[in-house]
Amino acid sequence: MSCWLLQLINICIIPLLLMGVIRKTKALLQTRYGAPVLQPFYDLAKLLRKSETISGTASWVFIWSPRVGLMIAVLTAVCVPWAGLVLPEGWRGASNFLFVLYLLALGKFLTMLAAMDTGSAFGGLGASREATISLLVEPALVIGLGAFALQTGQMDLTAMYAAPASPIVAALVGCALIIAALAELSRMPVDDPTTHLELTMVHEAMILENSGRNLALIEYAGALRACLYFGLAAQTLLHVWPGFATLAFGWHYALSLGALFLLGIAVAVAEGILVKLKWRAVPNYLAFATALSLLAALVAAAQG
Amino acid sequence: MFLNELVLSMSLPEIPGGFAVWCDTALFVWLAVVLVGVLARRANGVVFPVLTALGSLFLLITATVGGNGDCTIPLPYYLGNAPLTFVFDPLSRWFLAIIAIIGCTTAFFAPGYLEHLRQRVALGFVWAGIALLFISMVGVVLAGNAIAFLVAWELMALSSFALVASDHTQQTVRRAALIYLGATRIGTAFLMAGFLWAHQLTGSWTFADWGLSGAVALGPALLILVGLATKAGSWPFHLWLPIAHPAAPAPVSAIMSGVMIKTAIYAMVRLYVVGDHLTAPALGPIILIFGAISALWGVLFALLQNDLKRLLAYSSIENIGIILMGIGIALIGKQQHLPYLAQIGLAAALFHSLNHALFKSLLFYGAGAIDMRTHLRDIEQLGGLIHRMPWTTASFVAGCAAICALPPMNGFASEWLLYQGFFALALHGPLAGVRLAALLLMGWLALIGGLAIACFVKVVGVAFLGAPRSKAAEHATEIPKTMLIAQGALVVCCIGLGIAVPTLLLPLDQLVRVSGEPQLLASAWSIPMPALVALAVGTLSVLTLALAHLARRQPARRFITWECGFGTLGPRTQYTATSFAQPISRLFSLVYRYVVDITVKGRNRHHFPSGVSADATHEPYLETRVYTPLARAILRVAGSLLLRLQAGSIHQYLLYMAAVLALLLWLGVRQ
Repeated sequence: MSCWLLQLINICIIPLLLMGVIRKTKALLQTRYGAPVLQPFYDLAKLLRKSETISGTASWVFIWSPRVGLMIAVLTAVCVPWAGLVLPEGWRGASNFLFVLYLLALGKFLTMLAAMDTGSAFGGLGASREATISLLVEPALVIGLGAFALQTGQMDLTAMYAAPASPIVAALVGCALIIAALAELSRMPVDDPTTHLELTMVHEAMILENSGRNLALIEYAGALRACLYFGLAAQTLLHVWPGFATLAFGWHYALSLGALFLLGIAVAVAEGILVKLKWRAVPNYLAFATALSLLAALVAAAQG
Repeated sequence: MFLNELVLSMSLPEIPGGFAVWCDTALFVWLAVVLVGVLARRANGVVFPVLTALGSLFLLITATVGGNGDCTIPLPYYLGNAPLTFVFDPLSRWFLAIIAIIGCTTAFFAPGYLEHLRQRVALGFVWAGIALLFISMVGVVLAGNAIAFLVAWELMALSSFALVASDHTQQTVRRAALIYLGATRIGTAFLMAGFLWAHQLTGSWTFADWGLSGAVALGPALLILVGLATKAGSWPFHLWLPIAHPAAPAPVSAIMSGVMIKTAIYAMVRLYVVGDHLTAPALGPIILIFGAISALWGVLFALLQNDLKRLLAYSSIENIGIILMGIGIALIGKQQHLPYLAQIGLAAALFHSLNHALFKSLLFYGAGAIDMRTHLRDIEQLGGLIHRMPWTTASFVAGCAAICALPPMNGFASEWLLYQGFFALALHGPLAGVRLAALLLMGWLALIGGLAIACFVKVVGVAFLGAPRSKAAEHATEIPKTMLIAQGALVVCCIGLGIAVPTLLLPLDQLVRVSGEPQLLASAWSIPMPALVALAVGTLSVLTLALAHLARRQPARRFITWECGFGTLGPRTQYTATSFAQPISRLFSLVYRYVVDITVKGRNRHHFPSGVSADATHEPYLETRVYTPLARAILRVAGSLLLRLQAGSIHQYLLYMAAVLALLLWLGVRQ
């Protein structure tokens, strides 16, 4: 019970806080003062208060997609041990990594459809690019997590992260996850969420028509997914230290959250230094994730 | 519907020997449809769907509570020296259930659909063909020996050929039907050669007597595999699928793609996996590799198609590939004595066969509904159907989610089982290379999944969403209720099977487990799907209530789509299907041989072009580089050499007869 409660508190507070920390870090790096760390909370409250505008061409797909998207993000965030929390026995099957990935794919499927629902060319453009990126990312994620799962023989993320792992595999998979996560979350260097030119966008081009409450749901779901991916990457990287799996609960939890925020800061620093890649160079960038996953698979299969 | 039957089958005692009665009734009811259809060729009365549904219902009873056993038709009705034997066991009943379910939905969907073909097509004939196709598929699934199998197989090929050719006033349809007929001939030739070889080795036509294993079995097994793969539409024998499916009426495409190609899968499972009739060590890897290529090839080419039914046909090639991968895993599991692997691979293949029948029929029904209302199959000319055909769109989107293996639909359940199979192989594989290959296959399947999502987002986004791109799409209306019932029932099946997986794994467990092995399959499914769905519905209700509360204070406003201030957007400014697929086409341009030709016209071309045109082409590599030269070579040989054999000279023909007579006499003397 306490575990559920803690997970719920995590889901409510951490995602937006992480976004705030990333933004603040980027601002500091650019020698700006920047918005307060809690600004994402204020933004969310503002968006929820505003009215929304819906395109006349749009249908129920456009209206329902953000809700279902947030629902999926919450569901996966409950099931996945991204903050090092372990669910009760009966629920562990829900953290099966393929189930989680395909559930997230369902969310992407609906987002892409909603983007094309308004009949805007930007929506189609964003959806097409999103589909391309996700088909390149998914093999890397599946092979990488599969290689990691091979060590415990179980595909449940809960079971995978509860046992010690080989440091080499953990390091390789962790790096692959970070690279893949940046693409999945539409962050630099694949996509620049803060650019002003729609033609270069991926995710923002898809949600161009969303406003008010609808946009708030999407923003929150995005923050949750960021937590999920960065959390998984942090958990994997923490397993480079074999003692991590056997730590006492308090230390385990604190270290997990600490790693999550550290990773967020690292991503912010990277985003401050890196430039956005040309769209045509994105497959080459993602090839690094696949290559790292393949190396992890090689090591895991050889150990087996 | 199906779930209830399943629950019944577990609680009710099975009727001993009841299978023959129920199955005979079903066949006779369908035979009545054939007779009425042939006699009243132009009719489209209510008698056809009612009888078809009745026959399917009896077959469903056979499949669920009919019990096991076999029956042989007594002596005078032999085929040569082989009896007509029919075997009812869990495997054949599984496929009977697939046939019966699609039979039921056909009875609801076809009457309304066929009505719009009334001017061009003799509808009584179509119904007769459909019933004959069902009868022959039942025959294939039940056949206990090679001769009975071949008879039913040929009947199936001919009836489906007649159905493909039903709209034969169009030249494209005639061409498609002929290509399909050619493919079935080639397939049957390989099948016959394989059967003859196996008969030569065992001296029996009965499948149960074939116990060939090792290197001896490889020859006949491979010949039969080629024959079956041609029917199933696996790479590289898939040529006829994208040609025949668009030509056939939509309910027929649904039956052919959903059920008929699965009879080949049934035969593979029967001969190679369950019965141990032909077991060769190389067979598992071969089927696995062909399945893997087939799955990727199918979805890659599906992505490029703009003809909706052609796209669905390519996607069938993909799904057949996925099923074949399951069979390959099962064979490898048997070979390596890994019962869990064998069970889960076979379960994945059989479960996906059922699932693909459900969602592919659903998608073909959607394509048929669009065809019926707009007379269009090119998705580039559609759009905005979600406002005009809301229920068709909803069911089509559900079908797409299922075929993309998105939870909680049934497609996810069977692909998840296949992933489990790969993972088990990665865990218990004998060599490091095998373990690595299994991990890579997981990534391969994920890539296929990503491509499938791209493909079906394209279809839904371009054909159903946005603004209509043509007058025909603008004036589309919703299809009649009876047709919607068929689609709705399939949607319910797709969702139901996705949530109630453990219930379905029980009958599958009996099927895939060799007696004496532990019950491994029941514990394979670890996802608490009903609880998750309940949690999802709860979260969604809370969100919806909260949003409704916010909307009371600040209602939403309807306005135009943002047009960058350039004035009203026309339907032509929307993203096209070709553009949607372009980034992926460029990624895989080696496979597609994808070329974009851009021409800029005008005096000062760079800054002020008077016209820009872009033309993207791709080349179906296998067709143009392998099959076309092959067909040409055969024609050349036939034209130059064989033509002389049949020159129309009676003297020459008399010489042949004399020569053959002499040969036979010599052979007789030699004995």
